[in-house]
Amino acid sequence: MKFRMNPIVKKDLQVTARSMRLSWGLFAYEGVLTFAFMLALLGIQGESRSFYGGNIYSYLVMLFPVLAISQVCIVSLIVPLLTASSISGEKERQTFDIMMTTCMSPFSIVVGKVTSAVIRILFFVLAGTPIMALAFVVGGLSWLDLLSFMLVISLYSVFLGSIGIFCSSICKKAIAAVILSYVLTAVICGATTIPVILRMLIGRGKPGESLLFMLFNPILFFEEYFMQVMTGESLMADELSRSDVGILTYALSRGTLWIFISAACILLLSFVFMLLASWRVNPLHGSGTRASRKKK
Amino acid sequence: MLYIRDLTKRYGNFTAVNHLSLHIPAGDLFGFVGPNGAGKTTTIRIVCGLLRASGGSVQIGGTSAPVGSREMKRQIGYVPDFFGVYDNLKVKEYMEMYGSMYGMYTRDIAKLTDDLLELVNLTDKKEVYVDTLSRGMKQRLCVARALLHNPKLLILDEPSSGLDPRARVEMKELLKNLHAMGKTIVISSHILSELSEMCNSIGIMQQGHLLAAGLMEDVMNRFGGGRNIHIRIASPMEPAIRLMQEQVGVRIESVRENEMIIAYNGGDQQISALMQYMLQNGIVLTDFHREEGTLEGLFMQLTGGGAE
Ligand SMILES: Nc1ncnc2c1ncn2[C@@H]1O[C@H](COP(=O)(O)OP(=O)(O)O)[C@@H](O)[C@H]1O
Ligand SMILES: [Mg+2]
Repeated sequence: MKFRMNPIVKKDLQVTARSMRLSWGLFAYEGVLTFAFMLALLGIQGESRSFYGGNIYSYLVMLFPVLAISQVCIVSLIVPLLTASSISGEKERQTFDIMMTTCMSPFSIVVGKVTSAVIRILFFVLAGTPIMALAFVVGGLSWLDLLSFMLVISLYSVFLGSIGIFCSSICKKAIAAVILSYVLTAVICGATTIPVILRMLIGRGKPGESLLFMLFNPILFFEEYFMQVMTGESLMADELSRSDVGILTYALSRGTLWIFISAACILLLSFVFMLLASWRVNPLHGSGTRASRKKK
Repeated sequence: MLYIRDLTKRYGNFTAVNHLSLHIPAGDLFGFVGPNGAGKTTTIRIVCGLLRASGGSVQIGGTSAPVGSREMKRQIGYVPDFFGVYDNLKVKEYMEMYGSMYGMYTRDIAKLTDDLLELVNLTDKKEVYVDTLSRGMKQRLCVARALLHNPKLLILDEPSSGLDPRARVEMKELLKNLHAMGKTIVISSHILSELSEMCNSIGIMQQGHLLAAGLMEDVMNRFGGGRNIHIRIASPMEPAIRLMQEQVGVRIESVRENEMIIAYNGGDQQISALMQYMLQNGIVLTDFHREEGTLEGLFMQLTGGGAE
């Protein structure tokens, strides 16, 4: 069978390439990144002067987390904007009904919307690679670390995108969907730490199995990722091996296993959100609300 | 072609469509008439799988595929009453996108697009951005889009609302052409005059009920049976009036100097017999005709009665 691109992805990319928003978005993205780079460089120069008398190279490796975290923050802001407006946007512009009468299944519509957002965001990230690469050249990181960062940020975009599309499928207005998806992301980050905090309080400082909830926490995922890249160690592995728990957590405390399991968990969560979204998008399942209609 | 049985749609305790049953045969150009709020759009959206019915069934072309299934969607081309287009998308890309949403290949779509754009008279707009087209052009483009996957049934919801007179005429011509090409078409409208010129069958809907449906002439005859007959007479009126009073089923509505209007519930044959009878009895007729039936008249007659 011939490979066929999801029609929504194709259309979105066509349309994006022509809009001024892409140019401005790219400009702003690179601008912020450059700004972060400058700040970091200034900071590093100041540090190195006061302690090591001019040897800034050992500090330059810090450019990587600074730039990477800046990108993670920008992506956190942009992906919900792209996806949360997708379904409610279709409804607002009254293209949703026609799309639903075609042979596109709700799930492929949802997947198409998320994919196109991820591709568009990767476009920005790739454009920022040269700035990132500086940290690698002078900071002594391997190209594998750069590749792994691409994978990690793609995964994170899928996660944010699926939350965005889910919110888009339940909100009538695009703006409400965007706000809800920021809130929902924050709630997921917060809610996964609640069991740990509770266990720490009740279990006198031993989080135990409640740490498993943290597998779904994207903030901890990034923390682990940067720990691995920068120091080769794992905070969670330490934590797990100290709190004596069952075989499951014991396995997780081995080396880098945590980060892979966590990636799988976040993907699973994304998949669930996409399934929920496609269920909601189907007019024969959801509330059956019709697209908002303009009065002539 | 399209079978609707006992279709019901309730919003809370308001019934928008009430046990509607309807059969539209293949090849028909069916006019779905009714005042605003009659439930036309609701019915159409259910048929297209955009709304869940509260009860009843919809079938197309003998398949038993459920509403909203892929098989069903392949058979329907839908032009909504209100629809939007995307910014920054050209006409040919618009067609290509929807074609690929039906699983068609780019090469086939390109070929079909040329034919369809010619049909809807938009060939010169192929490279133009869709959002810059006029309302009438968008409407025709939407028809072309709805025909891409060669559906058996084309459904248009109020296709001429918001169009200027010229665009209306163009739309009407397009639909007539499609009908001539053998497509089964359903058009909803609250404007009757344009439907009466173009449709061969109609359904009249009000407050969720289907009041009448069938071939245009049949519906007119069936419900136009009570129309008045105008008789102009050159001989004295007295004998003619007496003659009419003796007839069963005839009621004299009004009498003027040399004209009378009678109400008679007979069919064509009985009416011609009546005319013969008058002539045989020496009455000199100069004119004998039934009131012209219009869809408007029929519509007023039908909906006026049910509007309490
Ligand atoms: N989502 C809805 N919720 C409640 N009532 C609705 C909804 N959609 C339509 N209606 C009502 O159903 C009736 C039929 O509407 P509609 O099918 O759009 O009529 P038409 O297309 O014949 O003008 C109207 O009275 C309308 O107010
Ligand atoms: Mg309507």
